[in-house]
Amino acid sequence: MELELKEIYKNFGAKEVLKGISFCAESGKAFGLLGRNGAGKTTTIRILMGVFPADKGKITLNGMPIDYDRVRLGYLPEERGLYPKKKIIDQLIYLAELKGMNRSDAIKSVDYWLGRLGMSEYRNKKLETLSKGNQQKIQLVTTLAHDPQIIVLDEPFSGLDPVNAELLKDVVKEEMSNGKIILFSSHQMNYIEEFCDRIAILKDGKAVLYGELDDIKKHLSENRISVKSDQVQLIASELTLEHELSDRGELIIKLESPDDRQRVMAMITEKYSVSEIKVFTPTLGEIFVRYASDGQNGGK
Amino acid sequence: MKQFITIFRFEFGSYLKNKIFVGVTLALIILIAGITFFPRVSESLNTGDEDSDESKAVMLIVADEDTDKEAVLAAFSAAFPGYTVNISEEEIGSVRDKIVSGEVACAFELDGYTSFKYYVNNLSMYDANSAVATGVLESLYKYSIMISAGLTPEEANAIMNAPVTGETVNLGKDQAKNFIYTYIMIFALYMVIMLYGQLVATSVATEKNSRAMELLITSAKPVNMMFGKVLASGLAGFAQIVLVFGSSLLFFNINKDYWGGNSVINSIFAIPGELLAYMLLFFVLGFLMYAFMFGAIGSTASKIEDINTSVLPLTMVLVIAFVAVMFHLGSGNVDTGLMKFLSYFPLTSPMAMFTRIAMGSVPFYGILISVVLLAGSVFGIGVLSAKIYRVGVLLYGTPPKLTSIIKSIIKA
Repeated sequence: MELELKEIYKNFGAKEVLKGISFCAESGKAFGLLGRNGAGKTTTIRILMGVFPADKGKITLNGMPIDYDRVRLGYLPEERGLYPKKKIIDQLIYLAELKGMNRSDAIKSVDYWLGRLGMSEYRNKKLETLSKGNQQKIQLVTTLAHDPQIIVLDEPFSGLDPVNAELLKDVVKEEMSNGKIILFSSHQMNYIEEFCDRIAILKDGKAVLYGELDDIKKHLSENRISVKSDQVQLIASELTLEHELSDRGELIIKLESPDDRQRVMAMITEKYSVSEIKVFTPTLGEIFVRYASDGQNGGK
Repeated sequence: MKQFITIFRFEFGSYLKNKIFVGVTLALIILIAGITFFPRVSESLNTGDEDSDESKAVMLIVADEDTDKEAVLAAFSAAFPGYTVNISEEEIGSVRDKIVSGEVACAFELDGYTSFKYYVNNLSMYDANSAVATGVLESLYKYSIMISAGLTPEEANAIMNAPVTGETVNLGKDQAKNFIYTYIMIFALYMVIMLYGQLVATSVATEKNSRAMELLITSAKPVNMMFGKVLASGLAGFAQIVLVFGSSLLFFNINKDYWGGNSVINSIFAIPGELLAYMLLFFVLGFLMYAFMFGAIGSTASKIEDINTSVLPLTMVLVIAFVAVMFHLGSGNVDTGLMKFLSYFPLTSPMAMFTRIAMGSVPFYGILISVVLLAGSVFGIGVLSAKIYRVGVLLYGTPPKLTSIIKSIIKA
């Protein structure tokens, strides 16, 4: 399966929220949708979920316009919330039925997922009696119970302790191996880096960066090398090449051409005491800051 | 359709599981049982004391020699069945003391048949004794003159009790009889819209507030959500009314013999079928229309506290309709120009048109036009409110202005 958004535009009144968003997500893989607050992530997700239509643009599944009556979508919204005063099992079954399951299938599936997430003992409790992390897991049941083909997870890890985060990772990997299309939206870059093969960074309603994460990293290394050394200051002062100091205290040196790499690396290791020297690859966090922050327009 | 049924069942189930809802309904039924069984219970407690006059208040008559004391006693006893009437030979001063001490309820001091003084300790607002006594004395006076003019007592009696019989032929509505149905209908509709309309608004706002909306809106169609919620609350309200009225009917029939003389109570349960049908029709349509609007308003409120302010314009319309109809109902003339307008205007027609059907004269095509307008509005408002709902539920922060909502609906 291949889910594609093509040139999606959306205005709210005079405010242009989306200005031509395009990306493509494949089944069996996770797609990372990144962007700062207000960049248009939630609006993109809501259009994808069919909450409101786009002003312009198309959403296709396997090349055909998406049919919301037939495609099953699962959504874990960033703003969590169910019915605090109702029994957990009642609302889970209700939501699964709303998504088209019949009652007996809904009960079966909800019970499976409650068991899978270790929540069976809370089946007949009221939601408000649960801790935040456990409420989050209940929310996850509503996302997955109706066996969705497309799963949208908005900040899925927030509020989970490391053990539960590990559990969620396993579940996500399981769903990926079942051939589901998974869309991640998160500010926790380490999770995106761990799961997502492909990302898009949104800024002011546009995708300022889109592609395979590995390609992006390779491309953005830009002939740079990073040096870890006790003599960073000395190297910096004696070096004629363009350079900068990273947050982690590494010296990032920009080469004039890729052919210089061997020569410069050899020169530095000979001349100075170096604990680590390598081809520089930026972290997703660094890429994100570079492309999503104000004042920079994401130029390469 | 399946989705609508799921929502309807879930929402209706929530009412049935709501302890307050169930509690209030049960409390009302128990209250009605208490009222309807009261005469039976009090009668069974009072058996045997029925002939005793001791419980009755005492009325004393101080009459002078110009009056026929026996005739006075007989006439007053007949005119004041609630009192034990006695002729007193005491001075008026000691009678007054007895009234003040509470031994005697009241007293009349007669000066012939044409002048009297009425003594009572605290003059009640509803005290008509003085007027009744005037009538009694007038008759006694006329009677005494006829006797002194030479008529026999039989002739005098015949003149005093001239037999005249009359019959009223009502060609239109019996306002006195229909008044009570109209009053109940208007009041019940007003109460149900206020209570259940608020519940719909609160239910929508609670889902929005708890963010359950984020999931609902991505799982269900807004039209299904809106209709499911409104119809479920409508059915809950209707079930409550049917239970309350049904149990009153049942309890009343059990105790019918003990309520024999009360014409108002009797007539409540003898509503003509045609009127009942109109009552149901206007009740259902009126409720749905307002409930949709309450739901739409609830969707625009970010906080549950905002609901009261947001629904204010709507409640004002309802209150104005209620007051206008009640005013005309009280005045007896329900076919004024204003009422004619109100009975076609959908927001007020459920109350106004029903009042005119029950209490005034309105042609059948008038009723038909009103119902068609109302039903059309209910459907239109239902669809519109679902659109407002879809736009409204995702707007957080300050409640949006009406104009911005309209704009986004047109866009969507």
